Amino acid sequence: MSESEVFAMKDEMWAGLGEKVEPDWVPERKWAVRAAIARRAVRRRVMVRTALVTASAGMIAVGGIALVTWRSFVAPSVAPSVAGLSSEPRTAPRAAAPITGGDEEEPKAPGETVIVTQLSPDTQLAPLPNRDGRGFALRAGGARFAVPHDSSRPFVVTAGDVLIEDLGTTFTVRYVGAAADQLNIAVEEGRVRVRGGDTDTEVSAGSTLQVPVSRVALSRVGKGAHRSQRSGGVVASSWRPLAEGGQYDEAQRMLRKAGPSAVQDDTADLLLAADAARLSGHPAEAVPYLERVLRGHGSDPRAGLAAFTLGRVLLDELGRPREASEAFARARSSGGPLAEDALAREVEAASRAGDVAHSRELALLYQRLYPNGRRSRAVARFGKVD
Amino acid sequence: MATTPKLRLARPLPELVAGSPVEFEELFARYGQYVAKLASRMLGTGDAEVDDIVQDVFWIASRRLPQIADMIQARGWLATVTTRVVRRRLRRRQFRKLFHASPYRADVPAPGATPEQRALLARLYEILGSLPTEQRLAWSLRYLEGEPLDAVAAACGCSLATAKRRVSAAKKVIDEVFGDE
Repeated sequence: MSESEVFAMKDEMWAGLGEKVEPDWVPERKWAVRAAIARRAVRRRVMVRTALVTASAGMIAVGGIALVTWRSFVAPSVAPSVAGLSSEPRTAPRAAAPITGGDEEEPKAPGETVIVTQLSPDTQLAPLPNRDGRGFALRAGGARFAVPHDSSRPFVVTAGDVLIEDLGTTFTVRYVGAAADQLNIAVEEGRVRVRGGDTDTEVSAGSTLQVPVSRVALSRVGKGAHRSQRSGGVVASSWRPLAEGGQYDEAQRMLRKAGPSAVQDDTADLLLAADAARLSGHPAEAVPYLERVLRGHGSDPRAGLAAFTLGRVLLDELGRPREASEAFARARSSGGPLAEDALAREVEAASRAGDVAHSRELALLYQRLYPNGRRSRAVARFGKVD
Repeated sequence: MATTPKLRLARPLPELVAGSPVEFEELFARYGQYVAKLASRMLGTGDAEVDDIVQDVFWIASRRLPQIADMIQARGWLATVTTRVVRRRLRRRQFRKLFHASPYRADVPAPGATPEQRALLARLYEILGSLPTEQRLAWSLRYLEGEPLDAVAAACGCSLATAKRRVSAAKKVIDEVFGDE
C-alpha cells in the first residue's frame, strides 16, 4: 500500500471517528438553552433601559446646571448701558431687564461696573445728575444694585425721602405696601447705610430693612447729604442702658431706630452694640461693629476679644468659616488668655473652610504650644491629627 | 487507488431555499443541534460547556439576525461564530492549565463508538490539547467535521493558504503520533 493510500485511509478514519462524536442533544437540554437565551435577553433589556434612564437623568442634570451657569454668567454681560437712560424717569421695558451703570464712551474696568437690574415692569429709575453713574433715583417699582465700593465716590440710591448709600455691596430696593409707602431694602452682600425718616442705620448682608417712605424726594444728594440731626438724641442714647441691663432685644430695636451714629466710636460702645445685635438674634448686624473695633482700635487691649467674638459670630452664626479663620488668627495674635481658644477655633474654622492642610498645620502648632490643652480632642478631630 | 477523501460536505437542508428570511426560533430549531455537535467535536466534550457555547452562539445570532442573509447562509455564519466562541474557550482552558497540576482529561461523547474507538478518541483529544489552538481548530473542522478547506478558512477567519498551513502542521503531529495505528 502506497503512502498516499495510507494517509487517505487515516483521513477516512478520522472522519468516521468524528461522526461518532455527538452530544446528547435531547429536547430538555435544547429548551434549557433556549430559556437561558430568553433570560439573557430580558436582562439585557433591563440593563439597556436602566442605562438609558441613568444617561437621560445625567444629561438633564448636566443640561440644567449648564443652563443655570450660562444664564448667571451671561445675564450681566448682555446688559445695555445705563447711558441709554435719560435723566427723566422712565418705565422699564420689561421685568428683570438688567442695565449697567457706566460710561459708554469710556468703559470702566469690570470691577468698577455698577450693575442695575429692574425688578418689575413699573420700575421708574433715573440716574442722578452729577453722580457719574453712581447715583439713581427710584421713583416706583424696585431695582437690584450690584455696586463696587468706592469711598471717594459713594454710590447712592434715593427713594422718596430715603437715602441708601452703599458700603460695597449688592442690594435691592423696592417700594412695597398697598400705597407703596414702605421701602424694602434687602442686602445680599456687603453693607448699605440707610437714612430717612427716623432711620439712620447700616444694613448688613443677609438682612432686610423696611422703612416708611415719603414720596417727597431728597432735595440734595452728595457726600454731605446727610439728613439734618434729628431730634433723636434721646433715642440715640437710650439703647445703651438697655444693653447694659441685658435687655438686648429692646436695645437692638432702639439701636436700629437711632442708627449707627448712636454708637460712639470707642471700643466699649462698639462691643456693647455688637452684643446687643448678636444676643438679640441679629448676628450679621454685630459684624460691622466688631470690624470697626479691629479697624479703628486695633491696639486696644479688647481688640483680641472683639476679634474672637467676630470669629465666633462668623463661624457659629453666619457660616463663614474662611473669614472666621482670619478673625481667630487676629485674636490669637493679640495674645492673652484667649490665645489658646482662638487657635483651637482657628483649627475648626480652617477645617470647615475645607483648608485641610492649614487646619492640620494649626493643629500641630496647638499640640506643640499646649500639649495638655483643654481643647486637644477637638483640635485633633478637626485637624485630623492623632 | 483513488485518494479522494469521503468527507461529508456542508449542505443546506433540502427544504431551504435561497433568500428565505431568518427567524430566530426557526434558526435555533434548525441549527441548535448542529452548533452543539460542532462545538462538541472541536472541544472533545459534551457537557455543560457545550450548552454554554450554544447559548453564546445563539445569543450573538439573536442580536445580529439582520447580518444573516438567509437560512442557507446561516449555517456557515453559525460555524464561524461557533469557531470563535470555541477558540475563546480553548484559550481559557490553556490559561487555566498554567495553574492546574493535572492535565485536562477529555470526556468525549461518542455514544455509538466501540471501546477501541473511545480510547482512540481520548488519545486524539489529548494530542489536540497539546497543539496550538488555531491548528487544533483548523484540523478539527477539516477532518472531524469534514469541512472543505475554503469553509475551514472562512470559519477560522483566515486565508485559504493559512488554513492549509494550519491543517498541515496539525496533521503532521497527529500522523507522527498515530503513525503505527
